[in-house]
Amino acid sequence: MNARKSLLIFLVFTLCLLLSVGTALAQPVTITFWHAMSGSRLGVLESIIEGFNATHPEFEVKPLFTGSYAETLTKYVAAYPSKTGPNIVQSYEVGTQTMIDSGAITPVYKIPEMLGETWDWAQYVIPITNYYSVEGNLWSMPFNSSTAMLYYNKDLFEKAGLDPNKPPTTWKEMEECGEKFLASGVVDHVYSTGWPDWIFEQALAIHDHLYADNDNGRSGLATKVVFNDDFGQMVFETWTRLHDKGIYIFGGAEYSANTAFNSGQIAMLIQSTSSLAGIIKAAEFKVGTSFYPRFEGYPVGNSIIGGGSLWVTKGQSEEELRAVWEFLKYLGQKDIAIQWHKGTGYFPVSGAALKTLLDEGWFSEDQAYLTAFLQILSGKRDTAASTGVRLGPFVAMREDLVSGLEKALAGQLSPKDALNEAAEKMNLKLKDYLELHGK
Amino acid sequence: MNEDKFPGHKFLPYILITPSIAVIIIFLIGPFIQSVYTSFFVSTTFGTNTIFVGLRNYIRLFSSPDYLNSAVVTFKFAAFVIIVGLSIALAIAQLLNQKIRGVGFYQVALIWTYAISPTIAGVIWASMFAPSTGLIPYIISKISGGYTLNWMTNGQLALFIVAAAATWKMLGYNIIFFLAGLQNVPDEFLEAAQIDGANPWKSFWRITFPLLSPTTSFLLFVNMLYAFFQVFGLIDIMTHGGPGNATEILVYKLYRDGFIHLNTGSASAQSFIIFFVISVVAIIQLRIVTKKAIYSR
Repeated sequence: MNARKSLLIFLVFTLCLLLSVGTALAQPVTITFWHAMSGSRLGVLESIIEGFNATHPEFEVKPLFTGSYAETLTKYVAAYPSKTGPNIVQSYEVGTQTMIDSGAITPVYKIPEMLGETWDWAQYVIPITNYYSVEGNLWSMPFNSSTAMLYYNKDLFEKAGLDPNKPPTTWKEMEECGEKFLASGVVDHVYSTGWPDWIFEQALAIHDHLYADNDNGRSGLATKVVFNDDFGQMVFETWTRLHDKGIYIFGGAEYSANTAFNSGQIAMLIQSTSSLAGIIKAAEFKVGTSFYPRFEGYPVGNSIIGGGSLWVTKGQSEEELRAVWEFLKYLGQKDIAIQWHKGTGYFPVSGAALKTLLDEGWFSEDQAYLTAFLQILSGKRDTAASTGVRLGPFVAMREDLVSGLEKALAGQLSPKDALNEAAEKMNLKLKDYLELHGK
Repeated sequence: MNEDKFPGHKFLPYILITPSIAVIIIFLIGPFIQSVYTSFFVSTTFGTNTIFVGLRNYIRLFSSPDYLNSAVVTFKFAAFVIIVGLSIALAIAQLLNQKIRGVGFYQVALIWTYAISPTIAGVIWASMFAPSTGLIPYIISKISGGYTLNWMTNGQLALFIVAAAATWKMLGYNIIFFLAGLQNVPDEFLEAAQIDGANPWKSFWRITFPLLSPTTSFLLFVNMLYAFFQVFGLIDIMTHGGPGNATEILVYKLYRDGFIHLNTGSASAQSFIIFFVISVVAIIQLRIVTKKAIYSR
């Protein structure tokens, strides 16, 4: 009785073992992907990944939402020493230098070579890949890229007796337009912005003005910021003056100013292009978009890239790396890039996707989607200042800038002193970073 | 250990407390020692390079205007939350302790703010005061004829609003405890005082308040911990420490330096400083206030 029982157990056990080996053989290569996409973006991303898994039965991408960009990076840092991190991680553009210096990354430009392939990187939109490149080599896969532009409420322009097809193109016109708006009484405040730190970076880049030395930290680690000169002061002074007049209302970080624009409380908004789909959906008025306003008489640069890109963890097995690479290629495919663009408003990363969108009349249907492209493709792209800033402790430094701006707007400090105080704090952070990373 | 309680099992008590001690060592003492150690170093984000800097993290903190500002903000904030919060809670609890009709409804209505999560409370307050869409700036602008109440640029206002939100959030908790304390005050004492000719004001301060002292000292302690540590969620949702660091309390600064800026050395030093300050305050409170509290009657 007893012997039979143990024989039975043995048989069942062996069967289980065989079965599990069998399924393991048939199982696809699984790679994990940590991302920070929430809200409507999450749905679009998930359907793209489902599409990949369905069309590539030999691979399986497992996405995991790991909180905000900052939280995702923190988790990645914590997971790295114990090798429990993901194969692919999404990081925001301010984390770029941190990732490059991490020693935890396989740069994407090396991957095709490692797998015995060649790949033409020029098929992606150049100003975007430039941002994530070191000495011409792409380090991370651009995924969700955006830039800043001017949104305006055409209905309110008409109400205030202004031409809805003539949004302000310079800051001087912003001021004049703002005064007219206030005089008309249509709104209490005229414009606001999202991401004040990034909007300031845009102001510098659009006028081909450097933010930090060593070519914005692109030719070597930056040692100090250089924006606290006449130009930077002029920017701060202009914004403070518009704020004092009641034209500019400070809207806080990230996307909190969007509500005021969507509800018609303000007539204009300077915000990331990634808000476009959301704003068009929420607004009950005609939305116009235009280029970021310029300061007259200063050189022409370009608007810079924001958003996120995908980084590949170092030390993966070849089959994992192949899965990662197939996934990254898939994301850049024409149809997928178009799906991503239409669902979110982020740039489609490939030139082919752009052409298809143009051919099918997407841009003429709603011109608002074209503004960002024209802006980024019409500017300069051969200078460091117009390519974007890359700094190690950038996240912390941006906060110094925002609190400087807040102090200037509140009248706590003069624009000049506020700018200098921010620069001083930021320089100390750069010095510390250099101490740790300098060779 | 008292051996009489466990005759013949000399080691049993030690074995019984081992799990708790193990938990404390693994989750509290271990990390604490590690963070003290880390506070003497600076390190790259991914730990690829670590440099011993001695006390530099501490010196930097104490010579940084931002850190000192953060300390001042914390004390202002805590003072508001504790003093205003407890006073209002006591007044309301006293009212709720009266024999009035529908008192159960009022009790629940005033207590349930505690059940709201900090996130929700933060969102409610933030949207109430949103500069261009919020209800309160709108009302103020209409009444005053165009004054813009913008807490995103007015630091003092932001601090006040966050402190008010934190006080409101904790009110329910304080009321429950005060109410329980008040219900434990024997009626005979109050009746005796009444017969002796004391007015309600006098009998409150001479009888009820001293008898409440255990509750009060407990709440002082809990509210202090609340104001120092647990308001994190509210601040994160409402202001992110801004504008211009005006609402950056110590714990929030620690969080930002450690988890957003990934500067573990400085964050560890900050956690040690907070630990030290809190320990001193707690010891003072437990020694003085608790000794003065009247437990027996």
